[in-house]
Amino acid sequence: MVVLNKKTFKLPFMDREKFLLLMRLGLNYDKATGTFCVANYNNIEKLADTLASILKVDEVSFAQTCTSCGKEFACSGCKYVESCATKNLPFQCVCSQCLREG
Amino acid sequence: MREELLWVEKYRPKKIADVIGNEEAKAAFVEWLKNKRRSKKAILLYGPPGVGKTTLVNAAGNEFGFRVIEMNASDTRSEKAITKTAGPATSFIALDTFSSESKGNILFMDEVDGIAGNEDRGGVSTILRIVEESQIPVIMAANDPDLQKLRPLKKVSALVRFYQVRIPLIIAMLQKICQKEHVKAEFEALERIAENSRGDVRSAINDLQSLAETTKTLTLQDTIVLSARNKDVSMDETLRSYFSAESLLEAAMLLSRSSVDYDDLLMAVGDNLPLRYTDPSDLAKAYDYVSQADMYRGRIGVENWHLLRNFFNSLSQAAGVSPQSYKPFALISPPIRVITLFWTKGRRTMLEAVCGKIGQRCHVSRATAKEDFVPYIKALLTKKKADAIVSWLELQPEEVEFLTKMNRL
Repeated sequence: MVVLNKKTFKLPFMDREKFLLLMRLGLNYDKATGTFCVANYNNIEKLADTLASILKVDEVSFAQTCTSCGKEFACSGCKYVESCATKNLPFQCVCSQCLREG
Repeated sequence: MREELLWVEKYRPKKIADVIGNEEAKAAFVEWLKNKRRSKKAILLYGPPGVGKTTLVNAAGNEFGFRVIEMNASDTRSEKAITKTAGPATSFIALDTFSSESKGNILFMDEVDGIAGNEDRGGVSTILRIVEESQIPVIMAANDPDLQKLRPLKKVSALVRFYQVRIPLIIAMLQKICQKEHVKAEFEALERIAENSRGDVRSAINDLQSLAETTKTLTLQDTIVLSARNKDVSMDETLRSYFSAESLLEAAMLLSRSSVDYDDLLMAVGDNLPLRYTDPSDLAKAYDYVSQADMYRGRIGVENWHLLRNFFNSLSQAAGVSPQSYKPFALISPPIRVITLFWTKGRRTMLEAVCGKIGQRCHVSRATAKEDFVPYIKALLTKKKADAIVSWLELQPEEVEFLTKMNRL
């Protein structure tokens, strides 16, 4: 599994069709830095699947930002991941450390 | 009555930041609302129930100084009703925009997926027209946006998707409430409550309150009484718990935790009261409380949800008029009206079909056909020239038999 930062990430070179598909699915491309970011969240599952096929990995997920401490963390370390109905969105959650500390 | 009986009301978000979860959706919605040159005049918020779509709209209205004109599209479905409610609100800019801090009105149409096809006589097209002509922002909310009938609305709206609220976010919120209410709670207990809620914040708060009422230190052991939240909890189960509640608070909490339809609940309670109270004076008092609850239900409508606690309180008082006289009884559940509707469904469907045929032939609505035509056709069917009428209306033999045997319209 690959964990991507929603605000900025790089992708390998791809053909025009795939690039357009990613744009349609809600990605933005910054020409200056050559990075992508998620601009629209309505097709996030399809976007994650497309990114997984481009990166040739089983699964792609986006890093979560902790609403308490602001730290970035991955869903894979969360104990509720199995029962979580929303694995990709929102991109904000509470990290296990903050949750324990209350 | 306690000032703040239900924590779910006490901790209802007043600001956008207080609405938990769905950060991206919140940001997209706020950006759309703040933007005065919107590319799309309307916005459609969609996602499962209980994730904060309505709460977000009200919080945003509160925070940005908009007056929210709320309309439940599943209650107000016909063209006439929608135009009557939404038309004036969207056609004119409010005068107080120029004189006070108010930024004007926003029209909020909740549950637009409740509008259903042909039966609504132009409901969707009316909403479309309102969106096109509106001078104020139009916000719509739906649970299922993939319905065919909502396609035209989706074309003219910006779309924002809402997701279920996650367990860690619910736990964090419960921790905050515990802190404010001076309730000590084990982490595992809150975890159990959050897991049981299945992403429903309201249920989680209600569960926490009901458990915290009995103890000031909430342990995992205390949460054993919580059954996994089932959205399809039966009316029978709700009534059974309600009528056997040991205090008014317990009854109110049970009602607030139940997910049965409030109108059905009101009818079911009314139907069961004669079985609960044998003393006529007790029964009269109980009906007074039910009547009061009915009044609150009417005032709640689709927007005054702060009155919900009064509704629950009145209804719970109906169960506790004479606690000492309680004896177990066989419940009537579901309410008589629902049972009647169930038993008469076949006949009503048949009548609708007949009225449809009459309406098509005579160029009138089904309602007019039912009121003004059916009694005469029923009488005519006993006459000699009945066959001509039957063939003209293309009635089937079973429909003719139904009409001739029908006693009550």
